[in-house]
Amino acid sequence: MKKWAFVLLFLASSMAQAQDAFKRHYVNMTEFGGLFGRVMPENNWNGTLNRTVTNRVNFTMQTFNGVQLKPRLAVGATVGVDWYNTALLMPIAAGVRYDLTRNKTKKSGLFASFDAGYAVRWLHADATNYETKGGMMLNPGVGLKIGMKSGSALILSLTYKRQQARVQNPLGWNESSNFEERVYNRMAFRVGVSF
Amino acid sequence: MKRPLLLIFLLTALSQWSCTDRCEQTRRYKRYTPVTLTVAQVRQGIRSEAARELVNPGKIYAKGNYLFINELKQGLHIVDNTNPAAPRKVAFLAIPGNGDLAVRGNILYADSYMDLVALNIADPLNVKEVGRVGDVFQSGQFDGAWWHSSGVGSVTLSDSRMDIVTETIKTDCENNGNSGIWRGGWLATSSFDSRALSSAAPATSGQAGSMARFALYDRYLYTVSQSDMQLFDIKNLEQPQRGAKINMGWGIETIFPYKDKLFIGSNSGMFIYDNANPSKPTLLSTFQHAFACDPVVVTDTRAYVTLRSGTNCRRGSDQLDVIDITNLSNPTLIKTYPMQNPHGLGVDLPNLFICEGKHGLKSFDISSDLNVKQLEHLNNMDAYDVILLPNKLMLMIGKDGLYQFDYANPSQLRQVSVIPVKRLEI
Repeated sequence: MKKWAFVLLFLASSMAQAQDAFKRHYVNMTEFGGLFGRVMPENNWNGTLNRTVTNRVNFTMQTFNGVQLKPRLAVGATVGVDWYNTALLMPIAAGVRYDLTRNKTKKSGLFASFDAGYAVRWLHADATNYETKGGMMLNPGVGLKIGMKSGSALILSLTYKRQQARVQNPLGWNESSNFEERVYNRMAFRVGVSF
Repeated sequence: MKRPLLLIFLLTALSQWSCTDRCEQTRRYKRYTPVTLTVAQVRQGIRSEAARELVNPGKIYAKGNYLFINELKQGLHIVDNTNPAAPRKVAFLAIPGNGDLAVRGNILYADSYMDLVALNIADPLNVKEVGRVGDVFQSGQFDGAWWHSSGVGSVTLSDSRMDIVTETIKTDCENNGNSGIWRGGWLATSSFDSRALSSAAPATSGQAGSMARFALYDRYLYTVSQSDMQLFDIKNLEQPQRGAKINMGWGIETIFPYKDKLFIGSNSGMFIYDNANPSKPTLLSTFQHAFACDPVVVTDTRAYVTLRSGTNCRRGSDQLDVIDITNLSNPTLIKTYPMQNPHGLGVDLPNLFICEGKHGLKSFDISSDLNVKQLEHLNNMDAYDVILLPNKLMLMIGKDGLYQFDYANPSQLRQVSVIPVKRLEI
């Protein structure tokens, strides 16, 4: 108990110290880019293993709005739109941005990002008798910030995006249930600006 | 120190997770597999067995203190209902390919695939086959699984078996409704479809008692198939003789005898036959309606027809039609009431009871044609069919079991007993 109190006290004092030299401020990172991946379903049809391979690229954009809590750490919310071939999902996530390197004069360097949340289907339109639902979203990655004279920065980022979705299909003859569970695993390459 | 660690972590994570979309489609469906039976096997299959659980009940039939509950394609449960509060399963009568029945005296008439059999049920524990008319029915279906007779004198019979299958396949995440129908059910399904098309319309699941396909009147047994009404002369109860066969067009579902008239429910309308000459019913009139499944019940001046939608019923709507049949040659629609998914129904003036499938059982006051009032809605059970017995006792069969209700107060049905069902879910 005493130990925890000590840790808390230490954290509070360190934060107070940080605040002396650093002022919290609003951060925005807006990026767009592509979700790169492929799909290769492998099914066993009467003993013959059959695999098809198709590459996939989809458009993605997102905006992170948050607070620069510490010199290197920003926390906030990320809202995006992902145009998958048969689903238009809108992930809403909590996100953090952490500077891995920091050149104080140039505002450039590497940063790590992590977003986790849930995609909603507000923008999606379903075909007759289909019902698409969003799902959990995870998006960790790294990025490069290139500072500009104006004070904002250009961003290039490479992240891994995992997005779940579920589709209720129309019932065919003799069917009592028919649904599809989807997991989109994509490499996301984005460019954007931060200020 | 921190940076390399983080980078290593991220690189490992990225290499572990591939950038491949993974999608799995799961379907649960009825699969039909063709089966060939020998006629001898079918004809020797009738016997009394020990009472067993209800699994997949079909039609119900009441005779005296006995109830007969059809176990689809398997035979009949014989239930002693002397005390409705405690019905007792007495025996199971195995009849291969059985779906319908009628009883007169001690003789039970039942279909057994292509044959009509007459059984003496004086002793339910030792039922004896007393008569058989061979090769009278050409085809039929149970739970959508069709059978076809290979013709008079043939030694085999084409049947199909229904299984409930859950299947998971990997898809390309491009859901267009086509993925997943390639395998398993497709072959059987397509053949089923073609048969259904060739017969213009598949029959309904026919689990309702008011949807009986057998009716007794005078010294005749009337049976309806998809397209025909086949008469049997039962002057000698034990030896039914094949009678006239009347073609009625496709999609015939139910037969309801009322006084000297026969009301035939088909999926395109209701036919009224004059049965003044029981050996030769003649068509009086037809009441057309939208294509749907439709059991009929009748009082002196009114016919009540329910239409329901569903896979087997194509583009049906769910409704109750009240039809004026004062002039039998010209039935006219009085009013239509929306329903949820009506199956069987029963009438005992001034009340009407409608089984709404999974939506339960409803009771109505029908004293005013233009203002049919709902009195009660029991929605905690599945309801397929009702039979109204004297003494205000109602038999109601559903997926959950055979219920008996006291309907002395139609606004408050009192459950007397229930025989539970152990049914496969689909």
